[in-house]
Amino acid sequence: MIRISCQEQLLPGETLQKKFEFARRAGYDAIELRGHGGFAFRDRLGELRRAARDGVPMPSVCVDMRHFFGAFDPELRRDAVAQLKSQLSVIAEVGGPGAVACTPASWGMFSRRLPPFEPPRSEEQDRAVLLDGLAELGEHAAREGATLVLEPLNRYEDHMVNRLEQAVDLIGAVGLPSLKVLADTYHMNIEEDEPTSALVKAAAHLGHVQVSDSNRFQPGAGHLDWAALLGTLDAIGYDGHLALECRLRGEPAAAVAAVPGFLRRHDVSVPA
Amino acid sequence: MIDNLDRDARRAPAVRGAGVIDDLHRGARQVPAVRGAGVVDDLDRGARRVLAANWRQCATVPAAALYPHQWSWDSAFIAIGLRHLSPARAQRELESLLGAQWRDGRVPHIVFDPHVRADAYFPGPAFWRSGAVPGAPGVPTSGIVQPPAHALAAWSTYLTDPATARARGFLPRIYPRLVRWHRYLTTRRDLTGSGLMSVVHPWESGMDNSPAWDSPLSRVIPVPATAFTRRDLNHGVAAERPTDEDYGRYVRLARDYRDAGYADSLQVHGFAVEDPLCNALLAAGEHALASMAAELGRDPQPHLAAAARLTAALVSTLYDPAAGMFFPRDAHTSHLIRTYSVGGLAPLVVPDLPVAAELVRTALSDRFRLHEACPLPSYDLTAADHDPGRYWRGPGWINTSWLFWHGLRLHGETALADDLRRRLLDRVRTAGFREYLDPLTGAGHGASDFSWTAALTLDLLRAA
Repeated sequence: MIRISCQEQLLPGETLQKKFEFARRAGYDAIELRGHGGFAFRDRLGELRRAARDGVPMPSVCVDMRHFFGAFDPELRRDAVAQLKSQLSVIAEVGGPGAVACTPASWGMFSRRLPPFEPPRSEEQDRAVLLDGLAELGEHAAREGATLVLEPLNRYEDHMVNRLEQAVDLIGAVGLPSLKVLADTYHMNIEEDEPTSALVKAAAHLGHVQVSDSNRFQPGAGHLDWAALLGTLDAIGYDGHLALECRLRGEPAAAVAAVPGFLRRHDVSVPA
Repeated sequence: MIDNLDRDARRAPAVRGAGVIDDLHRGARQVPAVRGAGVVDDLDRGARRVLAANWRQCATVPAAALYPHQWSWDSAFIAIGLRHLSPARAQRELESLLGAQWRDGRVPHIVFDPHVRADAYFPGPAFWRSGAVPGAPGVPTSGIVQPPAHALAAWSTYLTDPATARARGFLPRIYPRLVRWHRYLTTRRDLTGSGLMSVVHPWESGMDNSPAWDSPLSRVIPVPATAFTRRDLNHGVAAERPTDEDYGRYVRLARDYRDAGYADSLQVHGFAVEDPLCNALLAAGEHALASMAAELGRDPQPHLAAAARLTAALVSTLYDPAAGMFFPRDAHTSHLIRTYSVGGLAPLVVPDLPVAAELVRTALSDRFRLHEACPLPSYDLTAADHDPGRYWRGPGWINTSWLFWHGLRLHGETALADDLRRRLLDRVRTAGFREYLDPLTGAGHGASDFSWTAALTLDLLRAA
């Protein structure tokens, strides 16, 4: 039985309680939060605690900033790490055991496919920066009882970590169980030779899954083989949430509401 | 950092109320359900994991290391299980195979993956030289064929998800290709005028190393072992694989066929056998083609007539009433080859077979011990040269057992079918998704994570 969460900005309603009411009626099991910079996520703690008390499941937070822990600029790197550590602490409290904070290595900073093609930092330096950041974040996550998941992005959005195996390699090098990999079906559709075999290979390190279709719209709007993806995730024993992170085609509320039904129709697993 | 967090509150479940909440706090993720080659805790998940891992963009490899390309009858059996994981993939599996069909209608037994190292499998593209044959496809293939299980697989695949199939135009595209495939087999491969197709290489029978082929193969002069480099021994145990001398005969037959431009005649083929398994699949396949024709608004009658002709020829030519068994017939000598191999039980897959009850009796006899031996042994358990570990000379395969299970259900033997299904699943649960198994001990042999074992396991599970 798959479990589905929805990012908060996609849900109608002014409060998390109202959003979850809508989400639950549509067939979602939880909400994925978005963590803005400037410690804005920490500043929501009161709101998040009230929502948790009211029974809103919020097992994950997805970082929503303009700079990341793999930034070229050391100041921005330091801030990104501080923001993520804070987000890990908050989600560990409101998300319960198994809570997850998501981050890519970078986003929108550089692409080897676009001019000027050659990044200002070498691959070795990239790796050193990423390993440093992951070690610090992984230790913090372990102390907080949460998990940091590293998300590979497609080549136009990040030049460092594009495929699951690259993320597995980095977190393997750090060697902390509080670090895992995030598989996003949209990015995998661009970067992986075969998304389902990539999932099988990364199975032991898979900590979170985000879903959107081949065109970044909601599942069902593109051409991904959802039966194969969901059947594989179940087969490798993934029992976390599928978090909806996408753009919406059609009337937004109706588009969001249709996703759980669509995904469950393509869930070919059988109850144990 | 957050300094004012209530540490105690963090340890307690933070969320209460909704029924889904407890799930939120489930601990560590489970890793795959398969433990090496041993016990499979969760067959359904394990089978899907194998199918996901062995999928390569448009088709499934039978086993990642030993068989790194697309094999013809493997794809048919794989589709029968893959349809439960992804109907679209099962359709692609068959479409990609039939996409490599030759202009003469033949469906090659291997479609090579150009991205796999050229020396990963022998005989490879450099041996078959399909590119030099007019009418061969752009992608490199072998020039021989395998048993025609494809129409059966295509119809099952269609029935699983007709809506997806219609959206993808599956039947309109696959049906004409299957018709041409069957036409090649019933015309070019009818070497004796009996109305039955011949296999012209042991590999074409699917049961490569069966004792049934020993006598027709003994006439073939092997090429010396120094003339080729086997790749199968890099992965398999030599004692379970064919001998070098037999391999030399296989190479001779394939080379002669290639050098004759893949022309079909008794003059070209040193080895030619009318095989009950292939002809049974052809007859059953015509029934499937009739269903497809009806679904497409075409006339099913020609297919039903072809099925009736094939069934009649099968029974009149290859069936021995005294033995209660189908035997292969040597096309060169017109003599039946009286060895009891599982292929002789395969005609049970033919609807309206007039001797189904007799075949079931033979399967229950000491030769195959349907009640205990599992999977169904590839070769007579009472024969002096029965070898439970050697390739097609004794061990059991899931695919031939699946065919017999399918036949049992077709002919109303529900109790026997259910019993066989249960024991097959028990065997796989204990041995893992192995290529073949000792039918008496259940010990696994050959490749691990073998695709059709996983696929047909999934189909057996879903048949409950």
